[in-house]
Amino acid sequence: MTVSRRDFLKASAIVAGGPWLALRPDAAVAADPPKKGGTLRVGFYIEAATMDPHLSGSKIDRQVYHNIYEPLVTLDTKLGIKPGLAESWTQPDAKTLVFKLRRGVKFHDGTDFNAEAAKFNFERMKTEPKSVRKGEVANIDTVEVVDSHTLKVNLKKPDAALLATLTDRAGMMVSPKVVQERGVELGRNAKGAGTGPFEFVEWVKDSHLVIKRNDAYWNKQGGPYLERVRYRPIPDDVVKLQSLQSGEIDVMDYVQPRDVAAVKADKNLVVVDVPSLADFAYQLNTTRPPFNSKPLRQAVAYALDLEQIVKGVWLNVGVPANGPIPPTSWAYDKSIPPIKRDLARAKAKLAEGGQPGGFTFTLTTNNIPINIQEAEVMQAQLAEAGITAKVKLVDSATLISDGNTKSFEMVSFQWSGRPDPDGNTYQFLRTTPGTSFNWSGISHPQIDALLDRTRELSNQAERRKLYSELTKLLQDELPMIFIVHPIEPKAFSPRVQNYEAIPDGMMRFKDVWLR
Amino acid sequence: MASSTRASVADRRWTVLRRAARTRLAPFGAAVLLVAVVAALAAPLVAPHDPLRQNLGDALARPGRAHWLGTDNVGRDVLSRVIWGTRVSLVAGFISVAIAALAGGLLGVVAGYVGGRVDGLVMRLMDAVLSFPPLVLALALGAVLGAGLTGVLIALGVVYTPTFARLMRGQVLAVKARDYVDAARALGASGWRIACRHVLPNAATPIVVQASLSVAFAILAEASLSFLGLGIQPPAASWGSMINAGRGYLQQAPWIVFGPGAALFVTVVGLNFVGDAVRDALDPRARS
Amino acid sequence: MARLVLHRLAATIPVLLLVTAGVFALLHLTPGDPIDAMMAESADAAAKASLRTELGLDRPLPVQYLAWMGRLLRGDLGRSIRNGEPVVENVSRRIRPSLQLALLAMTLSLLIAFPVGIVSAVRRNTSFDRAGTTFALFGICMPNFLLALLLIFLFGVTLRWLPISGYVDPAEELVDGLRSLALPAVTLGLALAAVVTRTLRSSMLEALTEDYVRTARAKGLSEWRVMRGHVLRNALIPVVTVLGLQLGTLIGGAVITEYVFALPGVGRLVVDAVFARDYPLVQGVVLLIAVGFIASNLVVDLLYGLIDPRLRR
Repeated sequence: MTVSRRDFLKASAIVAGGPWLALRPDAAVAADPPKKGGTLRVGFYIEAATMDPHLSGSKIDRQVYHNIYEPLVTLDTKLGIKPGLAESWTQPDAKTLVFKLRRGVKFHDGTDFNAEAAKFNFERMKTEPKSVRKGEVANIDTVEVVDSHTLKVNLKKPDAALLATLTDRAGMMVSPKVVQERGVELGRNAKGAGTGPFEFVEWVKDSHLVIKRNDAYWNKQGGPYLERVRYRPIPDDVVKLQSLQSGEIDVMDYVQPRDVAAVKADKNLVVVDVPSLADFAYQLNTTRPPFNSKPLRQAVAYALDLEQIVKGVWLNVGVPANGPIPPTSWAYDKSIPPIKRDLARAKAKLAEGGQPGGFTFTLTTNNIPINIQEAEVMQAQLAEAGITAKVKLVDSATLISDGNTKSFEMVSFQWSGRPDPDGNTYQFLRTTPGTSFNWSGISHPQIDALLDRTRELSNQAERRKLYSELTKLLQDELPMIFIVHPIEPKAFSPRVQNYEAIPDGMMRFKDVWLR
Repeated sequence: MASSTRASVADRRWTVLRRAARTRLAPFGAAVLLVAVVAALAAPLVAPHDPLRQNLGDALARPGRAHWLGTDNVGRDVLSRVIWGTRVSLVAGFISVAIAALAGGLLGVVAGYVGGRVDGLVMRLMDAVLSFPPLVLALALGAVLGAGLTGVLIALGVVYTPTFARLMRGQVLAVKARDYVDAARALGASGWRIACRHVLPNAATPIVVQASLSVAFAILAEASLSFLGLGIQPPAASWGSMINAGRGYLQQAPWIVFGPGAALFVTVVGLNFVGDAVRDALDPRARS
Repeated sequence: MARLVLHRLAATIPVLLLVTAGVFALLHLTPGDPIDAMMAESADAAAKASLRTELGLDRPLPVQYLAWMGRLLRGDLGRSIRNGEPVVENVSRRIRPSLQLALLAMTLSLLIAFPVGIVSAVRRNTSFDRAGTTFALFGICMPNFLLALLLIFLFGVTLRWLPISGYVDPAEELVDGLRSLALPAVTLGLALAAVVTRTLRSSMLEALTEDYVRTARAKGLSEWRVMRGHVLRNALIPVVTVLGLQLGTLIGGAVITEYVFALPGVGRLVVDAVFARDYPLVQGVVLLIAVGFIASNLVVDLLYGLIDPRLRR
């Protein structure tokens, strides 16, 4: 058992130096050649909602999609954009993107993938009444077929984040024939619909979803090796871990921080720390007392001890956040430290805000164990500065409704993150009329200007500078208090070989094999 | 005449209590309850530590001299939290049943006494509540009323109301048919007077029995609602919310669950003993 | 009998009406919105608004209620918002595991409760009786999520005798199916056995004091015949009542057990639907559960007639 574990570690090259180093499977030489065959059994916390990527609003769906569908471009381990169904792309001007599509790619139903098919997909995303992708492709004005394998995308305005958006559902290509023939049925039967390394086999709702190897896969390098992948929903995370320990499943999507130490000590399990794109934060309602007062927002921020929260609650399965951009991103500025606890300063800010004796506010958070624990610790820290936080536990639907209607004072906000920093900032901080994720109600000209400017630039170095500026500004304005960028550890049976971790947390099984 | 029936009711109640005390388990149950009530009332004096005092460096400490039942995931003393949690759990159990007994009792009296259409309406309403899946009812009510103990109390109260309404109505109908009520009416007593003087005292005993058993179930139900994320707001704790918070640590730190679990179990057993004893004592046919 | 059934059926109509109004009002008073819950990671207000219009969620509440009632009268329970499938389909998929679990738990509870209850009653106040009573209390007083986790830990993780989670249909694979239901059935069955044991014991004790038992004994009937023919028969009525009430609870209320063991049952369906604010699904399932509850009560009442001819009127 130990031997195979070591091999696994070698194969996926988890460098002992720390969780933030990207995994480089190609750099390490696996002891054994990959073996074909076998069924990989995966446990997820919830079942998929639909198999139609254009209508999918649920995060879990993407876990399956990334094995049966393929986007035009994909992410590498450092969040760089690499070719997917598009072999290459050029940007003749800020408002035009030209994709050279890969030749010889077939959907699982045997039809060809080409520029016509890609155009069909974009148009469906834009016009289908139930499409959930509309917002993501809103900046796309028209899509033109230049030749059979060249696609020209015309934008309404420059959008530096678009390519990164196309690495996920908005860039995934579905067989036009399947869409036309099957219609809504595609939601539960994706047979023949994708181009990916695995094909959809069956989905018995509430029980399991099975995909099998696509032997005609266009990419002849590496996998797919696995015969089948079988997904199962196991809602209780205690039970899910026990299922892994007893060998009922081979992979579990997420290990709770509290279990990480125990799982790492278990010789029969392998843990891969996957640094995520997420930021877990709190939004402060800047439209009403007490947090319409900037000094009071600052008082709360200085009273909190992020290091203690990350160590005591997250058990270091994550790092203290300096802002919305995670360390996995190219835009992360490690020279900006997270806000340090400073009780004297917190007291001074309380006085400045007209509440020298402290004040009382309500902290709304999700009623899940780790959030409760975090809220309790924050409560104790704030009490030391004379600030009383009353904790209100709600379910997630209530939390969203409270956020949208701004009926909260401070509310937990856990964002799973997007590959482009725009996806972690714009929709939360830009002045927006109506409902949006800008629950704090912040409307700050300088923040708005920075956010707009980053969308227009395509130069990464320049954008990075603007995001640094934004991060610093946010540490002063504090419409949100950022707590932690969590790590999302995944646990495996030692039989599972060659898993490559991408920070978006999606489990791509193309090159995975079973010992 | 009226005073003599009242004396007989009081007399009978006394006999019931004496009889209840004679069965072997009842004293044990009563003792458990007494301990729980004392712990709840004297929590600040009895608890060895501040139940809210955190020490992240000492989280998940094993039971030992400093912490008899160990510490929880933020380093709070489990024993102290169990003792303070007694308050919340007992309040959850007793108040929710009190709400149910009061509301149900009142509805039952009205339905049984007035009869006719009112009776039909009240009882159909009770049937509707009964046929609602209880957990869904409690979940939705809790969400509507907002998180917190109040929501749980009212939700559990509503769930248990039909039981008491049915029981009370049955008692009222039975008592109404008895001779002394006819006699009182013949003597010109008003409807309300009869209800207060004769019907209520006679119907009270089965209600008390039902209540003592329901309290046990309500304490358990509060724990189940905690499992679904509904109930007491942190940092306070009930036994249920402590068990729920400790659920994920069952393998690494079982003591987090053991303390409140044992308290919950023993108290519920005690309540059942007392309830059973009172019921046995009340039911003349169960005497051997 | 037919008149009784008709009368009872007529009485259920107002009850069901109250249930529909209750669930509708309760659900729409609950903060939160199905579209927001479903698209938790999207801030696209326009897409959400168009979905709401598409699903008719932007209409005034009375209109939505009447529309729902109209569909109900045509026998249409509507479609789930989250997965777009008809409510009936959602339920029919989930009812199998729930029913199987309920029946298995019930069988198990009867297997335990009958011997324990009967012997406890006959040998009252012996050490067997006390052990039985204590067992019954144990089953009742143990929160079932705790019991479930302990069982998983013991039989699934430590001993590895039984699978921890998941569901296999016993109708398709008998052995694996029964194995997958074993731990959940024990979890539910123990609590139920406790309730049935208590009921059986006390109703038998009651029956033992009745005149007809004395008469039967005086007639010189053997103790066993007295027990079987008179005591047990009369003691069954409350047991049947309890079982009838519990069947309804087991089917819709085994939420926690279903959740912990990852069983796709009706209880979990409805609780998940509440969390997702999937209005049509919650409304439909609650209504079906209410119908099931009323029907099982009706069956219990009819069973009374079979057990005790005196009640057949």
